[in-house]
Amino acid sequence: MTGTGFMNTMEAVAINAAAFVITMVLFGLYVTWLGHNPLDVYYVLWLGSFARQISIESTLTNAAPLMLTALCTAIPARAGLLVIGGEGALVVGGVATVLVGVLLSGAPFLVGVTLMSLAGAIAGGLWIAFAGALRQYRGVNETISTLLLNYIAIAVMYHLITGPIRDWERVLKTSSWSIPEELRVGALPLVDVHWGLAVGIVTCLILYVVMRKTTFGFGVDVLGGNQRAAQMAGLPINKMVLICCFMGGAAAGLAGAFEVTAVHGFASESLVVGFGYAGILVAFLSRQNPAAIILMAIILGGVAASGGLLQRRFDLPDATTQVLQGLLFMVVLASNAAYGRLNIFQPAAWRTA
Amino acid sequence: MEGGDLGWWGVVIAVIGGAIRVSTPYLFVSLGETLTEKSGRVNLGLEGVLVMGAMSGYGTAVITGEPWLGVLVAGCAGAFLSLIHALICTLPRVNDIAVGIALFIFGTGLAFFLGKPFINPSAPRLPDLDLGWWSASPQVQSALQINLLFLIGFTLALFLAWALKNTRWGLVLRTVGDSEEAAGALGYNIAVVRILGTVAGGFLAGVGGSYLSLYFPGTWNEGLSSGQGLMAVALVIFARWDPVRCFYASLVFGGATALGPALQSVGITANYYLYGAAPYFLTLALLIYSSSPRKALEGAPGEVSISR
Amino acid sequence: MNMMSELGMIAPPRVTMTGVTKRFGALTALDAVSIDIAPGSFHALLGENGAGKSTLVKCLMGTYRADEGQVLLDGRETQINSTRDAQKAGLGMVYQHFTLVPSMSVAENLILGEADLPAVIDWRARRKLLRAFMADMPFQLDLDRAISNLSAGEKQKLEILKQLYLGSRFLVLDEPTSVLTPDEADQILGLMRDLAQAGRISVILISHKLREVESYADEVTVLRQGRVSGQGRVADLTRSDMVQMMVGEDTFAKSEARSTSGSGSTHLTVRGLCVDDDKGVAAVRDLSLELRSGEIVGIAGVSGNGQTEFVETLAGQRNETAGEIIVDGVPYSKTRKEIRAARIKLLPEAPLDNACVRGMSVAQNLALRDFDQPPVAKGGVWLDKAAMRARAVDLITRFRVKTQGPDAPIETLSGGNVQRTVLARELSDKSNILIVQNPCFGLDLKAVAEIRRRIVDARNDGTAVLLISEDLDEILELSDRILVMSEGQIVFETPREDADLQEIGRHMAQHGD
Repeated sequence: MTGTGFMNTMEAVAINAAAFVITMVLFGLYVTWLGHNPLDVYYVLWLGSFARQISIESTLTNAAPLMLTALCTAIPARAGLLVIGGEGALVVGGVATVLVGVLLSGAPFLVGVTLMSLAGAIAGGLWIAFAGALRQYRGVNETISTLLLNYIAIAVMYHLITGPIRDWERVLKTSSWSIPEELRVGALPLVDVHWGLAVGIVTCLILYVVMRKTTFGFGVDVLGGNQRAAQMAGLPINKMVLICCFMGGAAAGLAGAFEVTAVHGFASESLVVGFGYAGILVAFLSRQNPAAIILMAIILGGVAASGGLLQRRFDLPDATTQVLQGLLFMVVLASNAAYGRLNIFQPAAWRTA
Repeated sequence: MEGGDLGWWGVVIAVIGGAIRVSTPYLFVSLGETLTEKSGRVNLGLEGVLVMGAMSGYGTAVITGEPWLGVLVAGCAGAFLSLIHALICTLPRVNDIAVGIALFIFGTGLAFFLGKPFINPSAPRLPDLDLGWWSASPQVQSALQINLLFLIGFTLALFLAWALKNTRWGLVLRTVGDSEEAAGALGYNIAVVRILGTVAGGFLAGVGGSYLSLYFPGTWNEGLSSGQGLMAVALVIFARWDPVRCFYASLVFGGATALGPALQSVGITANYYLYGAAPYFLTLALLIYSSSPRKALEGAPGEVSISR
Repeated sequence: MNMMSELGMIAPPRVTMTGVTKRFGALTALDAVSIDIAPGSFHALLGENGAGKSTLVKCLMGTYRADEGQVLLDGRETQINSTRDAQKAGLGMVYQHFTLVPSMSVAENLILGEADLPAVIDWRARRKLLRAFMADMPFQLDLDRAISNLSAGEKQKLEILKQLYLGSRFLVLDEPTSVLTPDEADQILGLMRDLAQAGRISVILISHKLREVESYADEVTVLRQGRVSGQGRVADLTRSDMVQMMVGEDTFAKSEARSTSGSGSTHLTVRGLCVDDDKGVAAVRDLSLELRSGEIVGIAGVSGNGQTEFVETLAGQRNETAGEIIVDGVPYSKTRKEIRAARIKLLPEAPLDNACVRGMSVAQNLALRDFDQPPVAKGGVWLDKAAMRARAVDLITRFRVKTQGPDAPIETLSGGNVQRTVLARELSDKSNILIVQNPCFGLDLKAVAEIRRRIVDARNDGTAVLLISEDLDEILELSDRILVMSEGQIVFETPREDADLQEIGRHMAQHGD
């Protein structure tokens, strides 16, 4: 994963493209089996994701949290951890944002939004760093612990929004108190997509630079490549793991913060819509490269955005997008076997006995 | 309030009864995962398999009116999903834990998708065995209403413990899971053994899912399972890959899951969601307790990647 | 049934291989090799690493398929395509790496290989058979012991017992003594020879230890570069004949003349060190030693006596449970800063797994020690990939690393060149302490000579060298002082001038208190 050559990039692009095509064919067979014309379904997928400005805006609105939750898996993965706690970190970040936000009534806009975002990021960061600490100091498998932490985060949120911080005024929907209206984040210039998208892209780019251009990132790659070599080199492994987990969790927490400040205005079950799990898929599609995450999140955002239209046009259940994501995930993992097998990407010169 | 006359004893009895009633899915999934991990693979996707089993079992029972046929179909659906996992993991450079996550997403998605038409119709439930006839107390009677699947699971735990030591299949499975080098030298086909171990594990997890939809709670909806499949995987670590310990551990987890409803039954409804999260906290606590930063997990098959 | 009582009745087959050739791509691993092993003979297969010994027996055992040539059993041409086929024909292999299942008992491991193992095992009857089998064997093991609790020697015995139990009358022993003490080795090979002389089994012993061949084998075949370079009765050959056959006409530079033994300042002090292994069992127990500038201290010992855990502790890959490590008078906690300040360098065994990142390039692996220092790091933060590459090109030339270039992944390099790469990284600047473990394992003689020369050079420049090796010859050749490690303790120390092979061997077998 550390090879930087152009060939490696091209290889990844080709294999991912093939994985997309295979997934679409499998999905086409599936909808055919259900009695739909696959070409119609493909067309609606296109229509709902990238064909019109309104669908592109919806795609990008979905892509924003995906970029950030993908980082929650990608950054720890570079250090050798398989973290899948993006869903929980997003929820925790969202709840923290609400808790800070309700105290900030009357604060200047920039100060208020900054403080709320920081609260969300720090809460998410600490949440995942806790799993990192359990692994480093106690040997607890981080994949299982982060998955459990997802359930715990969601249960804690339900506990809070059904009692301690419930907004009893809102009768139709169980939700928390709302953040002050004047601190709600609006849309970007030109397109109707909230500022979370810009924050997501900038975060991905910053982390790309950190992971690929700095000595810290190189050290993390050594650790992820072989922990024993990192130990031998005397790298501060525990600290590096905690930092990576914190950065990943903070990104997912930031996603929660913008879901609250820019989309919902409060914490509710609307935070638990699977951005965390789809983020894992984005991270794997990007081969844990933060810059590639931007593109992959937009593509997966398109899949999510077209879900509604698929539902209306074909009367397909809302789980359709989840089926498609699961299918794509499995095909992408299987396609890992293809790396290094395609001769055109293997400069023969590298083959030495 | 019916439980009022028994007071806190009512809670205890309800927790015990709940433990028996709720533990069955844990038991089947953890036995399945034990089989899979004994072969050297981790299937983290059993949560998805469990939900798929619940849906397909329920759907079959709705359509045919035969709950036991539903159990069988649930097992087969679980076996099929796990076969996909097993086949993908046979490819080189594929991480079995990541495939498990993918299967988790795919399995639950597929179950919700295909299960949409079955949310409203009601299916015939699996029958009870009334083992509480001797007691006058309705709480005791209800606590001892036991499903046949629970007894099958218990017998299965004993059988697997025996079979792992006393059958050729058991020895081969353990060899493949403990040392690829030894299995290779003995001429066993490692890939085939692992595929079979994973598929068998998936069958059991699917059956565990059918218990959820056909007996307790006995409905099908998207919130039916909330991580039981995943917790069962963690439970295997705590049970040190021993089927009989899986049985005990399942009872403990069942009791923890039953805590919230039991308290609710005596009128304590505050913090319902927090009590509902008790099994997750318990799992995490047991995981922290069972793990060690210094040494490998006790009893872990040598080739299982979760223990490193 | 595979009953041992039959061992006396069925004679081992006569095994003949004629004109066996095996190619791997452009490389010819075996070139028309012929060998004939009469029933009841003890035949040694001698040769350097890579001479083709393993390939030859793998062609016999069905692991590889020969490109040309035949295998004859009792004069009949026989196709052996798998380990199972070999087992049916009564051929069994005892591997260099143990192939026992660690979590199982002795009894379970014994019956595992049976071709006709029934679906349900009647343990009561089985155990009766196994006990009868054990009673007939020259050495016994408790049927209920778990493999993970057996010593290396006991595991080796069990491997042999397993083959005999499965009915193998023709045993291939692949370097069986590399993990044994000299005493255990003598015992096991002696028992094998007795069984062979009684006509109950035939043995092929793969080895590069001349002493074993001289003491136990009747006949010897020497391989060099895939060809038979000599064959005959051991009694008719002298040791120098066999050496000549093994290495041919090539001669290699002996290690550099050394300057007078250093008695400089103490660089490394280890006091009362205790370390646990992965299972939490004490592997290093109360170990103390001192290492001075300009000397090579060799630690001899049979593999698995805590050497690996000791090196891992010095390398920061394992934590001590008690004791202290003091470097240049200051307690040492293995941080990057301390490693750099104390100029501690390390060449662990299996360097690809212990000191390299497989997926990374040669240049990146060469930068592991100083990527956060100028010139590779700019401003302490930014990585200068051009500088990293330029430095790599320089080191590759200086240490004669054979690689397609600095950007090739390190895992594409041969073992010797991985070793050279790590050595280049560790010795590219001044070193004060060099810790080396089994540096020449699996390398050809040229690479061995070069790496040993660099180690002695470092010593002559004033580095304090700690050499941990399972190769006693290597220890004797390089060390100024020799320590013997057994069961996690230093049990013996001697200056090189007074070193006595027998005495060292005895202490290697010694049990700790």
